[in-house]
Amino acid sequence: MTRWAMVADLRRCVGCQTCTASCKHANATPPDVQWRRVLDLEVGEYPAVKRAFVPVGCMHCDDPPCMAVCPSTATRKRPDGIVTIDYDLCIGCSYCAVACPYQARYKTDLATFAYGKATAAEEKRFDPKRLAVATKCTFCVDRIDAGMAKGLKPGVDPEATPACVNACITQTMSFGDIEDPHSNVSQLLAENQFFRMHEELGTGPRFYYIWDKKEAEA
Amino acid sequence: MNAPEHPYAVMAASGKRATYCYQCVAGPDLLKVSVTDGVATEVEPNFGACDIHPGGGKVCVKAYGLVQKTYNPNRVLTPMRRTNPKKGRNEEPGFVPISWEEALETIAAKLRAIRETGLRDASGYPRVAANFGGGGTPQSYMGTFPAFLAAWGPIDMGFGSGQGVKCYHSEHLYGELWHRAFTVSPDTPMCNYLISCGANVEASGGVVGVWRHANARERGMKRVQVEPHLSVTGACSAEWVPIRPKTDAAFLYALLHVLLHETARERLDLDCLTQHTSSPYLVGANGFFLRDKDTKKPLIWDLKRAAAIPFDTPDCDPALEGSYECDAVEIGADAEVVGSGKLEGKTSFGKLVAHMQPYSPEWAAGICDVPAATMRRIANEFLDHAQVGATIEIEGKTLPYRPVAVSLGKTVNNGWGGYECVWARTLLATLVGGLEVPGGTLGTTVRLTRPLAERLHSVKPGPDGFMHYPMNPTDREHWNAHPNIRNAYRSMVPLAADGPWSQALGPTHFTWMFMKETPKGLPTVTLPDVWFVYRSNPAISFWDTKALSESMARFPFVVAFAYTRDETNHMADILLPDATDLESLQLIRIGGSKFIEQFWENEGFALRQPVVEAQGEARDFTDIATELARRTGLLEGYNASINRGAACVPLKGATWDFSLDPTQVHAREDIWDAVCRAASAELSDGKQSHGLDWWKENGLATKPFAHADWYLYPTLISKGLRFEMPYQERLYRIGKELGNRLHENDMQWWDKQLAEYQALPPWKDFPGEWEKSLAVMGGKSKDFPFWLLTARSMQYAWGANVGMQMIKEVADNISGHRGVIMNTGRAEELGVADGDMVEIATPLASVRARAVVRQGIRPDTLLLLGQFDHWATPFAKDFGMPSMNSLVPMTMALTDATGSGSDVVRVSLKRAGGER
Repeated sequence: MTRWAMVADLRRCVGCQTCTASCKHANATPPDVQWRRVLDLEVGEYPAVKRAFVPVGCMHCDDPPCMAVCPSTATRKRPDGIVTIDYDLCIGCSYCAVACPYQARYKTDLATFAYGKATAAEEKRFDPKRLAVATKCTFCVDRIDAGMAKGLKPGVDPEATPACVNACITQTMSFGDIEDPHSNVSQLLAENQFFRMHEELGTGPRFYYIWDKKEAEA
Repeated sequence: MNAPEHPYAVMAASGKRATYCYQCVAGPDLLKVSVTDGVATEVEPNFGACDIHPGGGKVCVKAYGLVQKTYNPNRVLTPMRRTNPKKGRNEEPGFVPISWEEALETIAAKLRAIRETGLRDASGYPRVAANFGGGGTPQSYMGTFPAFLAAWGPIDMGFGSGQGVKCYHSEHLYGELWHRAFTVSPDTPMCNYLISCGANVEASGGVVGVWRHANARERGMKRVQVEPHLSVTGACSAEWVPIRPKTDAAFLYALLHVLLHETARERLDLDCLTQHTSSPYLVGANGFFLRDKDTKKPLIWDLKRAAAIPFDTPDCDPALEGSYECDAVEIGADAEVVGSGKLEGKTSFGKLVAHMQPYSPEWAAGICDVPAATMRRIANEFLDHAQVGATIEIEGKTLPYRPVAVSLGKTVNNGWGGYECVWARTLLATLVGGLEVPGGTLGTTVRLTRPLAERLHSVKPGPDGFMHYPMNPTDREHWNAHPNIRNAYRSMVPLAADGPWSQALGPTHFTWMFMKETPKGLPTVTLPDVWFVYRSNPAISFWDTKALSESMARFPFVVAFAYTRDETNHMADILLPDATDLESLQLIRIGGSKFIEQFWENEGFALRQPVVEAQGEARDFTDIATELARRTGLLEGYNASINRGAACVPLKGATWDFSLDPTQVHAREDIWDAVCRAASAELSDGKQSHGLDWWKENGLATKPFAHADWYLYPTLISKGLRFEMPYQERLYRIGKELGNRLHENDMQWWDKQLAEYQALPPWKDFPGEWEKSLAVMGGKSKDFPFWLLTARSMQYAWGANVGMQMIKEVADNISGHRGVIMNTGRAEELGVADGDMVEIATPLASVRARAVVRQGIRPDTLLLLGQFDHWATPFAKDFGMPSMNSLVPMTMALTDATGSGSDVVRVSLKRAGGER
């Protein structure tokens, strides 16, 4: 069974926000809606301080809290692990946004554009179905499905891969099938030390953060 | 062969189109743009280029702003004419739309009048001036306009848009002299240990730099970031050393001291020093090389013969250290013989060792606020990683392998202290044989020596066994007493040379300063009759921007190619809307070895094509240039210039000829079709001649560029030349000569700068220069306790994209884009909380900003990212984000010998009240 997952190598990320921008392009999100973004964090006190860049977004959890609280069953989980929102069913109650521990969900009630009125590009891509409903990262599910229909491999072939991964200029982001032990993501996790965000909450996030190589076994 | 006349393919309404983004010097990036029903919707990498592009074919965040840039409703989309004759920040220009006919004829009439009157004014300065920003990148968008400029004749391109104070100025000039290094980079793919003094490569290195450094980190390269604040690059480094601003030279001198005085001499690359540098050259009592009486060649002491011999004598064993008596002549400035007969000479290396003796880590610790043990450890780590003696085979050539490097950032390598830093950096590499070899410190482009496109071919034998360098002459017969342009680079800065880029590498702020009062000895600096401005906003990007804007308001006729209204074109008389990045047509060279990290294993060409129709009445730059050429009677010269290569590539080659008929007006497509065919022919030695349609379909074409050609070392050795290190006899000599010329002309105002021409530069109190400047402004250091610095924002740098909503949205995710960064502890002492409005002031000016309270900055330092403070640019004028450019004084006292200043100013900070 396929189970899609994202891996971010924190040794590589420079916080450039190219993934953020490419996500906005690929998914035509309105101003201030960032399904993918990179946090700029500090730890410690001067001069013993570290600064880190951490890509975040929907974690496509095994047990997504957003789905549990959804009163309309709009939020669902596909067999391949991708958490989806059916805009036709969503009533915009925002329970999911409150329940999500990753602050990954957005809701836009009014059509908003970069400069007030829609530009030609915004008009071309405006989707009224996204108003007054919850939205979030889809792992670029449309690309995955269309790509696989053509026999392409997500995480390997750009046409079938999430836009943020394609765009990443540091190869921080990798995407693939975590159930396949030979996949890129499985290999990365086998070779490196990693964590998942808020793992203690038991949500089973499918977004892994690499922070160092595994120490050589004795 | 001639270009066939045929209709060109019509763009499909939908699809993906290949193009390039070269908004910043860290490009170009190769991309594809999705178009739906004639509307550009999405940018993505050109995945087809991933094998030839050293950054995996990826695309910088700035390129994702191009769709919004195309459809920005704030664009100027018709030619405009100013109706308010008064100019100034507070004067509304009253622009009204006009036709292209009226706009072009108004400009052409001015230009024709100039040709009738004379191309130079009474002071001898060109009546026409032009400003292009962005480190040469506007040339990748201005089509055939360079051909028009070439056909015109003298043009003053030395007004600048921040050059000197905003660039790697000392590195550009000294770097090109020493190792053809207008820009310097570690050989990142092979480097294992990098000391980065303020070089913010993660923000300024572009896709290739970021990609390579990420790979280097993962494979274990250790990078030590030496910088007053924890930049993006510091965040991604193994170690952060928070050094006091403008003390990097002391830090680097301490490292040199450890290498020269605390480690065994044998750990240095003695073979490199004796054979490939001037280390053994004997120096006389007056500071000049001792020379053979007959040949005038510098002498070395041969341990084999126990005698002084010319440096290039075969079969010798040069002494690296010691003092020797020999029969010699010592020749000073202006060929004056300052010594002859039995003279005592010390080796250059020996003099270096003595020179560096006082600069111990303990000495530097108090200056840099860095523990001596830290500096000593870093010096030893550098040496440990250098692998002196190791070799590596690259494409069949065996080369030294030295995987250590030092890189310097802006502010470190410009203004006072810049010379000392770049000298120390180059010397650190030289001592371990790590200059221009695999893993080491590389120059990656030339801009002052020719040919610009082929760095290794610029290596030609010069005096004393060194490379030739086209210094502006300082001898009595040839010194330029009458500057060709207003910034007087030929007269004042020998190192600026006299190539196509030299005007912009002179002291560009002189142009602006001298308009108010021209110093003694120079012709009165005049206003240009016509000033063209494109992709340049000096009213924002220079220093002392308020004074600059006031000067600009006096210009009689300004033509601005305008994307949107901005602070510089606020003073314009005519606005011309050029077709922007996704709307116009041009072919450029890509690959080879270019800016900073842009050294590729391929080279070739890429096309920028109209992905969508131009918005409004925006017109392709090539069409504008052709029309101006026609209306000013310059068509033949313009076409001839294109034929010679002004539009990327010469149209005639060994076996091909796509030359344009010089007497005819040519359509944009026909011009670029010919350029495309000539480029194809050049790439294939005449076998192919692909036209415009092929290039539109394919986007780019390349051929291999030898990896071994990243390194200058083999070329230097093959020509029997030496690196001009460590002793700067040539600079010392030209400094003396320049001083003689200036004093002969009663010009004393450059004496402080003349003192920088030192063969072995000692440490000076560089921070003190800015404290003195504060005193001149009427302030005391204790009342203005902060060093205000700036740093690159990758999202904005060079992009002219402050009007892009999406760029602001994503940039705001990175700390510092919404206010001034200050240290948390210091903020608490001052009662300032994160988000508070604070006032940052010099004795003369002040700005306001929100406080961004962070741990990663020295308590005595403030940081304002980027260059904002816009007051006319739509969207950006509402940011509420100041710029240090509004606070930095433009003065002669803060100008170094290369003509550069530095982005530093002493300021106070206090809470300004207002909402929290």
